[in-house]
Amino acid sequence: MGKVVSRFLVMVIAASLLITAPAIAQPKFKLPDVANPMVVSAPEIGRSGGTFVVTSISDPRTFNFLVAQETSSTVPLGYMFEALVEVNRESTEVEASLAESWTVSRDGRTWLFKLRQGVQWFDGKPVTADDVVFTLDAAFTQGVQSSLPDILTIAGKKIGYRKIDTYTVEFKTDEPFGPFLRSIGFAVLPKHKLEGALKTGAAEFNRSWGVNTNPRDLVGNGPFVMHSYVPGQRILFTRNTKYWRVDKNGNRLPYLTRLVVEIVPNQDAGRLKFLAKETDSYGARPREYAELRGQQQAGNFTIFDGPATFSTEFLVFNQNPAGFREPAAARKLAWFQNVKFRQAVSHAIDRDAIVRQVYAGRATAQFGPISPANKFFYNANTRKYPYDLARAEALLREAGFTKGADGVLRDSAGTIVEFTMSTNSGNQDREAIGNLVRQDLTKLGMRVTFAPEAFNTLVGKLTGTFQWEAIIIGLTGGLEPHTSQNIWKTTGSLHMWWPRQERPQTDWEAEVDRLFDQAATTIDQNRRKQLYNRYQEIIAENSPLIYFTATLTQPAFRNTLANFSPSPLAFFDIETIYYKAAYR
Amino acid sequence: MLLGITIISFIIIQLSPGDFLAEIRLNPIVSQQTVDQMRANFGLDQPLHIQYLKWLWNAMRLDFGYSFAFQVPVIWLIGSRLMNSVILNLVSFAVAWAIAIPLGIYTARRQYTAADNSLSFAAYVGISTPTFFSGLFLLYWAFKTGWFPIGGMTSIDYEFLTPMGKFLDVAHHMVLPVLVLGVFGVAGLMRQMRANLLEVLRHDYVRTARSKGLSERVVVNRHAVRNAINPLITIFGFSLGGLLGGSAILENVLGWPGIGKLLVDATIQKDLYVVMASLVIGSVTLVVGNLIADILLVVSDPRIRYD
Repeated sequence: MGKVVSRFLVMVIAASLLITAPAIAQPKFKLPDVANPMVVSAPEIGRSGGTFVVTSISDPRTFNFLVAQETSSTVPLGYMFEALVEVNRESTEVEASLAESWTVSRDGRTWLFKLRQGVQWFDGKPVTADDVVFTLDAAFTQGVQSSLPDILTIAGKKIGYRKIDTYTVEFKTDEPFGPFLRSIGFAVLPKHKLEGALKTGAAEFNRSWGVNTNPRDLVGNGPFVMHSYVPGQRILFTRNTKYWRVDKNGNRLPYLTRLVVEIVPNQDAGRLKFLAKETDSYGARPREYAELRGQQQAGNFTIFDGPATFSTEFLVFNQNPAGFREPAAARKLAWFQNVKFRQAVSHAIDRDAIVRQVYAGRATAQFGPISPANKFFYNANTRKYPYDLARAEALLREAGFTKGADGVLRDSAGTIVEFTMSTNSGNQDREAIGNLVRQDLTKLGMRVTFAPEAFNTLVGKLTGTFQWEAIIIGLTGGLEPHTSQNIWKTTGSLHMWWPRQERPQTDWEAEVDRLFDQAATTIDQNRRKQLYNRYQEIIAENSPLIYFTATLTQPAFRNTLANFSPSPLAFFDIETIYYKAAYR
Repeated sequence: MLLGITIISFIIIQLSPGDFLAEIRLNPIVSQQTVDQMRANFGLDQPLHIQYLKWLWNAMRLDFGYSFAFQVPVIWLIGSRLMNSVILNLVSFAVAWAIAIPLGIYTARRQYTAADNSLSFAAYVGISTPTFFSGLFLLYWAFKTGWFPIGGMTSIDYEFLTPMGKFLDVAHHMVLPVLVLGVFGVAGLMRQMRANLLEVLRHDYVRTARSKGLSERVVVNRHAVRNAINPLITIFGFSLGGLLGGSAILENVLGWPGIGKLLVDATIQKDLYVVMASLVIGSVTLVVGNLIADILLVVSDPRIRYD
């Protein structure tokens, strides 16, 4: 009797340790090879056939997804390789991909993923837990040039992972890891094709599947198979006839027969080719929007009023004593470290002028670190800095600065406020913004020299010598705030205004550190949102980075293709694009 | 001399700020550890003279190392695009010379006539137009008329064409860049030919040949041109040297998949081994081109003999 009761108790306790997410619906469709294919929803049910030509400004640098760092490589590879989970472009929620379902333990430390059965690699072998484990083994091998370890090392400890059976993988973290689902979406590579290279060594693995590889050896599991790569010209993909996703009617995807990535030398050539109907997509720049709207009819395309990018552009002042060794320079350090100085500068920047002149109206003012495009995490209730010279001057007076009768601003010791502002030359938008900001700050009485310089020089100053005063630069962003911890934590190497601090130098920086650490170990996404809301308030209040605008995107697509729809992330899923005409 | 060129090139590349990893450093996801690891992988953490000597040792065995950016052998990287540049430059070269020499002779014979003046004017326009400008201009013209593709070397269906179809496809794409390099480049050559021939036609032996009763055509073509062409042979040799890399700017504007863009990008990114290899190739072809020029001079001018 006792045995039965205790066994029953064990079962109850075991069940309560598992929180199931998401619920597995009964498979709606069956494919001959896949028992439970993934269903992709799209505006319309498409028809088979056709070619879609997209463009890339540069050549891919590698065909090894683990080693790839740049979009010219990761975008084409994304057509061939899939991950355990992916982000739904419309809901921005994480959903099952190669994995069919997963569970997380109540304490948030153990994750169990069940793989979708019947999914094959291009060469017919099954995708199994071995491949997932192999990919992680390779990533964590010393010497392999992957940034995956940086993402999957939580509080200094490497993530634990092991194969449970052919189709089950278990992950373990020491602390519950909040961003887990958004960090586990790495492309899975085939063990049987790459284990030889990994055994030879890390250097050999870094070079494996380089751009000189025969496309037949690039074995993936995504919607498209690489047919050929002609350096400097194009990459040709054909449909994967064994793809494991279906549309809402159960038809196997993708619809397209061919996919071409056309390599163009620069943005302008890309635009001309698009208008000449040689390509089917073009990511227009803000200033081109109005003109292209007028050409839609003639060019047989549609240009969309897209969402903002996740990227940010800002002005940063150097607060690092290492950059101000000389005593004369120490005064400047004091100005840049003064929060009222930075707030004044923020009030003095005419963001509307930037929106109008640099982006032709296709941008909105931004004051905090997260772009409004990030619907879930964006906090709209942070401090704002409307264009207000009077407020700026009042703040400067409070900080001890005085604007003399000659119109020149001096600090409390009588030193004229002058500094050099830089950005990377060749970036026309940043150079234009720099000129506008310089003019704005002159109204405050500051003497600003604007001197763009080479990108490499800037990076050297930001990360090496720290000999700089003010820089206008930008950073890319993503859905998960945790991935930018290298910027916001005081120990981070990209904590631009004072990197790699031994001890947090201000109270607010210490608080941001705590918020990031807490959010990393909280599983409840709503609780995480509250923590990151607070971080955005702190950053907006203290303005170590003075943001300008969030820029809108305006993608354009040929009307012969369909199933495009506006969404926060991308405008289409490559597997549901279809050709409306019978053929081109 | 080749050794000297490589040493100087190596030093100059190192003098510019930053290294290949500059871009990676600004990626928020990548940790300092990973960047340091990459530095070690690329051998960038070793002292400069060691880096150079290692490169030299390998280069002598024709192993030009791996590209940092692409992680493929430099030989493959350059080889994948070299032919494209060579084809373009050869055809432009042939077109330019085929037009320039006869035109130069024609204008010299009809000095100061309307034909000469208008052709000279066209030549001046050609000389003063930078290649990128004429490239862009032709690109927009192609766009407006729709007669030619917007840059590139092949069309999307290239792989599936017959051999004849492939030839025609590349020829169709080649019209624009050849127009720029060949036709606009005719100008300088034509003026040079004209000047040389005029100078030669003033000589006594030409007057002698005419008084002998030879036809003007024979006088000019058989006697005068052969002497006038000497300086151009030297130019020919130099131009051969430029065949492999000469059209970087134009390739960028017109999207011709040659090594020009590759080298420019490599130089900016400080992809060390790609730049070094291309400089070696460039130097070698320059030397070979001059050698050919010297040989041709000996053939054409019996007065030149090497003892």
